[in-house]
Amino acid sequence: MRPLDALLQGGGAGAQGGQEADHAQDAAHAADAAHYGSEAAHGLGSIGEIPDYISHHLEDAREMEFAGLHFDLGAFALDPIHVGGLTIDLSPTRQLIFIFLSALLCIGLFVPIARASRTREEGKAPSGLANAMEALILYFRDDIVRANIGRDGDGYTPFILTIFFFILFMNLLGLTPFGITATANLSVTAALATIAFVVTEVAGYRALGPAGYAQTIFFVPHGLPAPLKPVMLVIMAPVEFLGKLTKPFALAVRLFANMMAGHILILAIVGMILVTQSFVVGGVSVLVMSALMVLELFVACLQAYIFAMLTSVFIGLIRHHAH
Amino acid sequence: MKTSHFGAVVAALLVQPHAAWAQGGAEGTTPLFTVNLGTTVWTGIVFLALLGILWRFAWGPILQAVEARENGIQSKLDEAASRNEEAARLLAEHKEQLADARRQANELIAEGKAAGEGVRTEIEEKARAEAQAILDRARAEIGRERDQAIDALRRESVDLALAAASRLMQEKLDQDKDRELVERYLTEMGDGEGARA
Repeated sequence: MRPLDALLQGGGAGAQGGQEADHAQDAAHAADAAHYGSEAAHGLGSIGEIPDYISHHLEDAREMEFAGLHFDLGAFALDPIHVGGLTIDLSPTRQLIFIFLSALLCIGLFVPIARASRTREEGKAPSGLANAMEALILYFRDDIVRANIGRDGDGYTPFILTIFFFILFMNLLGLTPFGITATANLSVTAALATIAFVVTEVAGYRALGPAGYAQTIFFVPHGLPAPLKPVMLVIMAPVEFLGKLTKPFALAVRLFANMMAGHILILAIVGMILVTQSFVVGGVSVLVMSALMVLELFVACLQAYIFAMLTSVFIGLIRHHAH
Repeated sequence: MKTSHFGAVVAALLVQPHAAWAQGGAEGTTPLFTVNLGTTVWTGIVFLALLGILWRFAWGPILQAVEARENGIQSKLDEAASRNEEAARLLAEHKEQLADARRQANELIAEGKAAGEGVRTEIEEKARAEAQAILDRARAEIGRERDQAIDALRRESVDLALAAASRLMQEKLDQDKDRELVERYLTEMGDGEGARA
């Protein structure tokens, strides 16, 4: 763990004076000195090191720090699997741990709620956390799934809910002290977007049938003169096909970029403190970081919501496909 | 110094990230903007497993319970509405029945009154007639008794008078003639009495 993370916690916990921030910095320095040598204790040497510093914190890695402890995941490294020309390295990384953590949080939160709602006495109103979550679930069913996919789209509610809460927990875990933001990794968002893409296309195929689904790519408008039909197909088919691919691409990049951008900003500000080693810069930076962390909290929820909502919009669009 | 540092940081971020982030770090790290297929595969596996688990153990039961509750509330509302309707219908029916009963009761009372009046007059009439009959009978009885008494008295008086006269005059007198004489006298006397009365 770098001094930066100690400061990030300070920023997340609320505005702190420059002195406190400096204090936290010193403490973190002392703690880290054992692992990273005297170089880290003196902050960053020059501005040129900041990009390295930021990428070190955002990148996925086979090592993890938690509360001053250092874990080396390299010991569990697996040999890469070669599938065709692709090399797949399934070794555990720190982001993978947080992916699992997020999934476990989802299970730990919702399975007891489901049990509670199943065993609740007949005619008794829900209460507490279960009630809040049920309201959220109902919101997704009524205003996201039914509004975008249609009343017969209730079957997609579990998928949309899983997407939302899985991403939400990954985003939020990235904001916790020592947390790693798995969604700030293109590999993760690409996987989610690919699944959303596959579900969207399958939904379209199921709703439209083979002929109808083919029309979502090869489309000839009614009344088009016969000679123009091949021209239309040649020009529009690639466009339609690309149109399908841009949606998941946009989903993946939007989530990745949003989650990464806030962290880069905060890390850059921390880097500035480490470079300048100034009370004034430190004080102002902590204030700015606190505001940014609040913004990030909002963005974490917003991006999960956007991902879930756009996925249901795409499913709704393809199911009601008609030019 | 500070501002120049800040400017330099921004500049470094703008210019250098590509160089810095693309080169990758130590062994096992994944540079930003690159896709590690292993993580992608893991994410997919975890997501699908999570989807399956939550679908089976969380979303399914929760949505089912919520839907059951929604249906329950809806059916209860429907039931309440139909019961309300039923109640209104029953109330109208009862009101009508009540009014009907009241009307019938009034009719019965009026009928009873009329009947009672009839019976009363009948009884009165009968009683009066009976009383009249008793009175008449009594009067007739009295009249007859009086006549008998008068007859008896007259006969007795004649006998007494004759006895007295025969004592006085002894056998000198013809019995039949004397008797006629006395009776004529008594008749005259009775007539005289009747004329006086």
